[in-house]
Amino acid sequence: MTPTAAPVDLRRPVRGPLWVFGLIVLLYAALISWWVVFFSRQGDVLMARLKVAGSAPDEVTRQALYEATYEWSRMFMFEGGFMGLLLLASMGLVLRSIRQDVALARRQRDFVSAVTHELRSPLASIRLYLDSLLMGRAEGEKAQRYLKHARLDVDRLSRLVEEVLTTRALAEGVHEVHLEDVDLAEIASRVAARLAELHPGARLDVSTAEPAWVRADTHAVERILDNLVSNAVKYAGQEGPIRVEVVPTSGGARLAVIDRGPGLRGARPKDLTAAFFRGQNENVRTHPGVGLGLFVVRSLTEAQGGHLELLDRAGGAGLTVAVSLPHADGRPPDAAPSDARPAAPADTHAAAPSDTPPEASA
Amino acid sequence: MSGARLMLVEDEAHLAEVVSDNLELEGWSVDVVGDGAVALERIRSERPDLVLLDVMLPGMDGFHVCDALRKEGNRVPILFMTAKGSRDDRVHGLELGGDDYLPKPFDLTELILRVRAILRRSEWMATPSDAGDVLLLGDVRVDIKGCSVQRGGRTLELSPKEALILRCLAERPGDVVTRAEIVQRVWGYDAFPTLRTVDNFIVRLRRLVEPDAKEPRYIHTVRGSGYRLTP
Repeated sequence: MTPTAAPVDLRRPVRGPLWVFGLIVLLYAALISWWVVFFSRQGDVLMARLKVAGSAPDEVTRQALYEATYEWSRMFMFEGGFMGLLLLASMGLVLRSIRQDVALARRQRDFVSAVTHELRSPLASIRLYLDSLLMGRAEGEKAQRYLKHARLDVDRLSRLVEEVLTTRALAEGVHEVHLEDVDLAEIASRVAARLAELHPGARLDVSTAEPAWVRADTHAVERILDNLVSNAVKYAGQEGPIRVEVVPTSGGARLAVIDRGPGLRGARPKDLTAAFFRGQNENVRTHPGVGLGLFVVRSLTEAQGGHLELLDRAGGAGLTVAVSLPHADGRPPDAAPSDARPAAPADTHAAAPSDTPPEASA
Repeated sequence: MSGARLMLVEDEAHLAEVVSDNLELEGWSVDVVGDGAVALERIRSERPDLVLLDVMLPGMDGFHVCDALRKEGNRVPILFMTAKGSRDDRVHGLELGGDDYLPKPFDLTELILRVRAILRRSEWMATPSDAGDVLLLGDVRVDIKGCSVQRGGRTLELSPKEALILRCLAERPGDVVTRAEIVQRVWGYDAFPTLRTVDNFIVRLRRLVEPDAKEPRYIHTVRGSGYRLTP
């Protein structure tokens, strides 16, 4: 099964004709006001005309005339008011889209600046490592270290390129996810072991006690975990252990990465997971990265039918990022994993963590 | 200038490693700092001979570090070494008082040549001039080493670049000094975009030292060639 992720709109809202729209709205508002005033005075106008024509209307005619104009004006005032409210509401929408437009433009400018830095810095060090080697300025252990570091810089560039390409694919609605039944616990243990090697300075506590079968895309889950753990190392690597846990839930399973860093600090999860979200000053680098990590995590999670939550860690400073993914097909939602799988995928997992899940579950 | 003390302000660990290793191989000592605000304090207290400054930094960006130093009269030579390589960024960095601007990624040889050129210039500035450190142009007294101009009881400040241009001209009074020569001696390695930049500096210098900047009496333009100083 290869569904395509719903396109994510990253375009800037159309801005050009907005001022024309605003002007038209104002004209309409003025016209309606005039219209309301005109009809509410219609009775007086007709009476004045009758007087000028020299015929004085009797009391009954006068009363009927006033009642009729009162009814009209009530009708027009009601309709005019309704129209006015509609116009005000649409003006509000227009203003909101302008504000979003400005915010997105700022984020995109900061993004370009961040990508420039994230591309050029590893390129610069790779070039200097190679120059040093070619010019014979590094030998033996130093040369080995230079090669190893240059290789890490190449990996960093590859990850950045993949992140940007994924964002583009998500924006165009052409990013495919290949859903199958996978054991979230097994993927988490495997990826966490690799990440622990990659970030030797950080302490990773992994808790995946039992298998947790979900319907998901293995590669997408790996990227989600990779991004979340890298984020945690980046923002909270020095602050204490980073906990990676997988817990089966009634709806499927929940993968959480919990750090002891500063937490949300009042930021809205919606903003943190928006594309290109970064700090205010493009030149002051609070943290490395280009502001696509959590956006990619959210988009990939949603493309698999799951949902992402960001909350302050319960019981102290820190951030919990939780990804909930739906049950593997054909399983009762509330059954414990081992009960639902008599074919013993749980045992398989225990014996050989890298085994793929059985087809019987599909 | 062997034994010079350099400060490298760079938050990218790999880049800091390979740049400092190579500068140390040239015989310079290198102090690496990864944060703009910390660097500002360290430059104030340790007074390095040259600062290699990244722009996008944690704590405080490199442009602000340079601006803060220049505003407090600190003239330590600064070489910007940054991913922000657009023309506007380069001009901004140089306007703030940076001595040179090297966009990433750069060549190792080029980096070493530029560092050497800046150190040579500051050494030249520190040695006594053949023309002396004080230049008298009518009632205007120019202190080239102290970067100041005294005129009509007022003391005006000269930028290090302006002082170097005047020194260039004053060392050969009455001779034509070409724009290319000025660029080579004042900026060193091809740091600046065009030779026209020299003309802009001359315009400002004339405002500072000439009785009438439109009818120069001391700094003359030699059409198609350069400038001549007649004290």
